[in-house]
Amino acid sequence: MTLTSNSVFHKIIRSTATIASPRRWLVRALLRAASVIVCVVTAVFFLIRLVPGDPVKMILGEYATAAAIEKMQHKLGLDLTPWEQFLRFLNNLLVHGDTGSSIVYEASSRQLIFDRIPVTLLLIAMACILSIVISMVLAILAATHKNGILDHLIRILPAVTLGMPVFWVGLLLILIFSVHLGWFPVGGVTGKGFEKTLYSLTLPAITVAFSQIPSLVRSLRAQMLEVLESDFVVTLKAAGIPRRVVLVKHVLRNSALPALMLLGVNMAYMMGGTLVVEKAFGLRGIGSLLFQSISNRDFPVIQGIAFYSALFVVIVGLLVEIIAGVLDPRTKGES
Amino acid sequence: MANRSRQQKKSVLVISLFLILVLALAGCSTSKPDASASGSPSQSEPASTEGASTQPAAGGTFTYARAASVTSFDLHNQITANNAFAIDKVFEPLVAFDNEGKLVDWLAASHEISSDGLTYTFVLRDGLKFSNGTDVTAQDAVFSLQRHLDVGGPLAISAKVDSLTAQDNKTLVIKLQTPYTPFITELSNFSNGILPKDFGGKTEEEFFKNPIGTGPFVVKSWDPAGDLTFEKNTHYWQQGKPYLDELVYKLVNDDSQAINQLKAGEVDAIETVALQNASELKQGSDTTVATNGSWVTEQLFLNTLDEHFSDVHVRRALALSIDREGLTNAVTFGLAKAATSLLPPAIPYNANDTVKSLTFNTEEAKAELAKSKFPNGFSTTLLIASGNSSRAQEAQIIQAAGKAIGIDIKIESVELAAFRERFFKYNFSAMINSGQADSPEANSILAFQTDPDGFSKSYWTHYTNDEVTKLLREGQQTPDGDGRAQIYTKLQQILADEVPYIPLFYPEILIGVRSNVQGLVVLPNNSVRFQDVQLKGE
Repeated sequence: MTLTSNSVFHKIIRSTATIASPRRWLVRALLRAASVIVCVVTAVFFLIRLVPGDPVKMILGEYATAAAIEKMQHKLGLDLTPWEQFLRFLNNLLVHGDTGSSIVYEASSRQLIFDRIPVTLLLIAMACILSIVISMVLAILAATHKNGILDHLIRILPAVTLGMPVFWVGLLLILIFSVHLGWFPVGGVTGKGFEKTLYSLTLPAITVAFSQIPSLVRSLRAQMLEVLESDFVVTLKAAGIPRRVVLVKHVLRNSALPALMLLGVNMAYMMGGTLVVEKAFGLRGIGSLLFQSISNRDFPVIQGIAFYSALFVVIVGLLVEIIAGVLDPRTKGES
Repeated sequence: MANRSRQQKKSVLVISLFLILVLALAGCSTSKPDASASGSPSQSEPASTEGASTQPAAGGTFTYARAASVTSFDLHNQITANNAFAIDKVFEPLVAFDNEGKLVDWLAASHEISSDGLTYTFVLRDGLKFSNGTDVTAQDAVFSLQRHLDVGGPLAISAKVDSLTAQDNKTLVIKLQTPYTPFITELSNFSNGILPKDFGGKTEEEFFKNPIGTGPFVVKSWDPAGDLTFEKNTHYWQQGKPYLDELVYKLVNDDSQAINQLKAGEVDAIETVALQNASELKQGSDTTVATNGSWVTEQLFLNTLDEHFSDVHVRRALALSIDREGLTNAVTFGLAKAATSLLPPAIPYNANDTVKSLTFNTEEAKAELAKSKFPNGFSTTLLIASGNSSRAQEAQIIQAAGKAIGIDIKIESVELAAFRERFFKYNFSAMINSGQADSPEANSILAFQTDPDGFSKSYWTHYTNDEVTKLLREGQQTPDGDGRAQIYTKLQQILADEVPYIPLFYPEILIGVRSNVQGLVVLPNNSVRFQDVQLKGE
């Protein structure tokens, strides 16, 4: 093994080694990830077929003749038994890495999904950064002004925003900042280039962040209060280390872990939440594609999105575990 | 000391991990334009809509928001509006209808129908060219119609065609086996558009990815799951038209998004306006609503295989219990006319004024129900598709009407795909849906809703009446005129008496438009003609 020569990798493996052996950890994590993906893909395959509705009738409309419907069902392989369809699907996925050709758009579902992934990922990333920054600022303010007016305000506000439905927040932001003030586009990504894309995604990202901030602030604040009262902070303060340094470098760092875990879990919810936000903002992302595909019963695209979303969530989960290992001071003792 | 450096290394590690993640995400996004540039032309980026409203009168880009994307240009295999109203911008038929639903010669300079109703002769316009500059000949028309006959498809030619002949380069002769009066009007369907013979030398697949027709617009870039950009056809036969340089079909599949984009001027028109939003757009200073009578009749369909609705007295009782005038006003805010007969006013031979229908009268309704097998009332369900607030309202009004005479109606709201699945299997008692004509021809709706031999079995009501079937067949063979009018009036009177479906109202077409748009022609099939459109500066 060249573990020793690759110090960064070594570090990661070591830092995540809350269990004795890093290799065992990796194997376990991968097995867990694989089983999640297999379960999601299988469940979605059969569930979507249990729902009444037929893609052929959605394409051909209400005026299609029985002969036309039969012809198309045969062409799409929808006249096979569910098990035969499942085998065909697995074969496609394992051999070609594709979930089949979209029924409605007659294009590779993988291509359709990959075309739309950037918008969704960028939206989630922006929302994450916004949530982290805003939550940190609010939590520090609340924790350092414990039981003051500021603290109460910061504790009440999240309760209010938690109660607001995401699409409604989005609609309000559109009405105020797009229709009346004209600062942002009403919907979609207008214009080309990275900056234009970021600009177009501002309101949607704020909308998603809105739903994340309350729980993050609460968790971070509670944890910070606990850390603030711990002995080492008192010692640091007594040693005359500037308050700002203590807060950011020691308190925040030691309080971040639960919030980070929460954010990791929330990532899965965000993936689902983009469905609503993308529709409200007319964005062409994974969420809106999923919405359309479910309405049209476009089975291959639905399966593809389920597969790649599961993959994404699993990867984020692994990353969070790694970062948590790095942040967690307890791993130090074992290295 | 060692401890401290390790700690520093760890912070570096955390930060770099985070940066890698961000960069990876950013990388995904910036690579998008490159990916599409190297891909097929159908994957191109949606066009920018900036400055659309500040362009001078001639030229400019018109952006039209639509709820579903264009997935295919194969005119013989498509029927749904998302495709039909893009196909009709590229392919044009020999005859067409104007905004009043009147039939006019289009690619044909003139047409003639023999007195026995069997021979149709069309003479093409002079100087007709396809968008690639080649001449349009009668051979192209023969090829196009022959492919339609071969394919069949969802909007098949229902006449029994004996032969298609190109008499010379400009004259097309169609012979029928038996007279079929609706034929000339049905030729105005978008599915009877003219394309180049042998697909202009390309394969079918290639051709419909980059279609060539005589229409005012040509496909410039197209994402089947996104936007479609047309550019003007410089060879268009209407001199100097279209005025627009480009026409963009922008996919906006959310009602409030569409309204807000129109209000903010990000689009120039929107294809669907929910009834409850119409007055807001009309009152807005920058927006308005373009309307026209439609070829649609909103109806309450009653399954005649159902144990209750197989009884004609039950159907009549329910019809008598509904205040259609009140329902129409409540649901449509006065933007529709209450219906008494099946055919909408924009279709010839409609009999809304002459047919005696069962008008709202609760006492008569109770008396009618007393004559049925269920004099004390019964319970039933009303099936509707979810996501349509107007339909939900209609259902509630009908529910209240039924309750007044002892019919207990449960409303079952299911998603559209499930809804279709249900009625295709006759698995419903009553449902709200609409009947629609594709061309200004009475037979279009009547055949679909009364023909017991048709695949739809009288719009899945399974209604069969030999007298009605006989009248339907007579109407198809009787030449246009008073004789045909009498047949259809009689037919509609029988339907009004036996009510396999209760016509509720004739909806108006509502297109949301920016106030600076001029020359938009709203057709009664809900399509829009753009060749006369001009954008005035705001």
